Amino acid sequence: MDHNSSRFDESKVTLELDQIQSIILRSRPIPYFGTVVLVEIKDKEAGKTLIKNLLPEVTTSVNWHNSNNGAATIAISYKGFIALGLPKETLDSFPNEFKAGMAGRHEKLTDYGENHPDNWQYPYKDNNIHILVNIIADSEEKWKNKLKSVRDKFEDISGYTIIAMGDFSATEKVTNAFGFRDGLSQPEVDGSGVDIPPGYGRAVKAGEFIIGYPGEAGNIDESIKPLAFSKNGSFVALRKYRSNVHLFNQFLHKNGKTPEERELLAAKLFGRWRSGVPLALSPKADDPELATDRTKINNFDFKDDDYGRKTPLSCHMRRMYPRDTKMAVMSDLNMHRIIRRGVAYGGVPGDDFLEDDGKERGLYFLGISAKAMQTMEFLQSEWGNTGNFINHGDEKDPVIGVVKEDEDGVFTLPKEEGGRVRIHGVKTFNTLVGGEYLFIPGINGLKWILDQE
Amino acid sequence: MFTDTELEEKLARVVEALKHYPPMDGRDHSHFHDEDAGLTSGKVSELTVVCKLKPGGADYLEKVTKHLNGGADGSSPVSCVGTVHDLRFAVIDNRTRLLFASTFDGSWNGYISDFATKIPEVMDLIFDCVEGWPGIKDPTIMDFIKGIQVTCSSWYVSHPNLTINDITRHEKIAKGIDKIMDEAYLI
Repeated sequence: MDHNSSRFDESKVTLELDQIQSIILRSRPIPYFGTVVLVEIKDKEAGKTLIKNLLPEVTTSVNWHNSNNGAATIAISYKGFIALGLPKETLDSFPNEFKAGMAGRHEKLTDYGENHPDNWQYPYKDNNIHILVNIIADSEEKWKNKLKSVRDKFEDISGYTIIAMGDFSATEKVTNAFGFRDGLSQPEVDGSGVDIPPGYGRAVKAGEFIIGYPGEAGNIDESIKPLAFSKNGSFVALRKYRSNVHLFNQFLHKNGKTPEERELLAAKLFGRWRSGVPLALSPKADDPELATDRTKINNFDFKDDDYGRKTPLSCHMRRMYPRDTKMAVMSDLNMHRIIRRGVAYGGVPGDDFLEDDGKERGLYFLGISAKAMQTMEFLQSEWGNTGNFINHGDEKDPVIGVVKEDEDGVFTLPKEEGGRVRIHGVKTFNTLVGGEYLFIPGINGLKWILDQE
Repeated sequence: MFTDTELEEKLARVVEALKHYPPMDGRDHSHFHDEDAGLTSGKVSELTVVCKLKPGGADYLEKVTKHLNGGADGSSPVSCVGTVHDLRFAVIDNRTRLLFASTFDGSWNGYISDFATKIPEVMDLIFDCVEGWPGIKDPTIMDFIKGIQVTCSSWYVSHPNLTINDITRHEKIAKGIDKIMDEAYLI
């Protein structure tokens, strides 16, 4: 069941939950099973018929805090909107990053080296991804049922091609391919009905995540026209990663003599132990007991750790959400948050997996925000592939950073007793194999598309 | 007026004059620009803007920018940003227009939303003098800035791969090493 169930207050709801697709507000179930489907449509009529058929399957954010039925999401790319024949006024009003697509923005995303779009897999390379359908459920049976009812909607119609289908899943431990629990820290959305206990920060203004509501700067962004279409919608950055677990484990073995040393180094790279317990709360060893309380393991800051002696400044978790870290560049934490609905595929090979077996495993990263393109580009270029904001020069995020072939990847590890070591030989532990920017229309937006001539 | 032959002759004389001063720093000074119009050289970018001032805007701006120049101790509020190498304001064309130029680390549009929530008063205080300034929090602010931005023909950066933080860190390290070396000889 969902960890949020006890923190919902109906009287605090100001958003149109019945219009907002469930993926935006509903957490991933635990465990989870699902499928990503990528569709190319032939023309406007075929696309509209498909959306019309799928509409009853699309789940909303009503009861986001405790719903456990299988969920389906529809998201549409800019190419998809062109194929759907949206009015010019609407097409033109989309942000430039969205129009360019993820491959077109590779420079701003610092997707270079092996992450460059030239090296992407089919169907992402030179793609014609028009529509993404994402199905997720908390049991194998519910997933299969939901997948079947969605697939039934594709029957008896033509004019589309399913260009890729990928299953994903995670056990009760909800770990990524490296065996680390993920997706723990999420921004809370103001107006969703979330009831935040004292001491747990504050909810971020809804407009940062959902179009048609005031954002952190206090105004409603009405740039995507008309509001009848864009309201309750959001953008998603889909990024498919292949996790190079063998390279990660090789790095641990090279730099750690005992299993304990390796586990500590691995935790130092991520910022959390495998269970999800943060170094900030348990700096010496994992704490399985603490791991069971998902609220507790996200309630910490870095105020007594300016030098990163417990939680390295350069670790993945602290980079992607620096909390109260004293940053070397003026930044507003709440401007760069993204709702993460990433899901793992291909299984978890374990910490003794040292040689590439040629099998693919990794993560479909799904980052959702009303400004997902800008946020993704910022996270990649300012907090991911450089260390300037934490005064670490060129150093990159050890988990999502891309290390070029002729480059020596470095990780700065501050030692508890003072001083620091710089560990060399960091590789690209996660390789981007494809991605796209898509829009997640509200139910009103999907209906608006169907109403167009 | 300017013939290619004359230019070639001039360039040849310059090459001759500089032959005893070969470029020795080993740094890549090339620059490029993308759709944002500003130039980038290594880790450093520039923003150059030419825009119309509101009536009385020149006087207003000069009063405001005095506060950016540093207090009695020379400290400037600009340093809190952490990425700004320099800021230049020049009132031109009979006090009707502003030439604004800045050098900074990273990209301005990456951080514009941070400025909008962290220091909106400062941004609006300075740029209120600009004709059509929509306000830093306005959703059209990026397009407005792009509209008044000009692309420089050329730009030289002495250390394209050092950010403000790198420079500050290197300065501290050098001072620290000197201090340790001195102290190591103390009895």
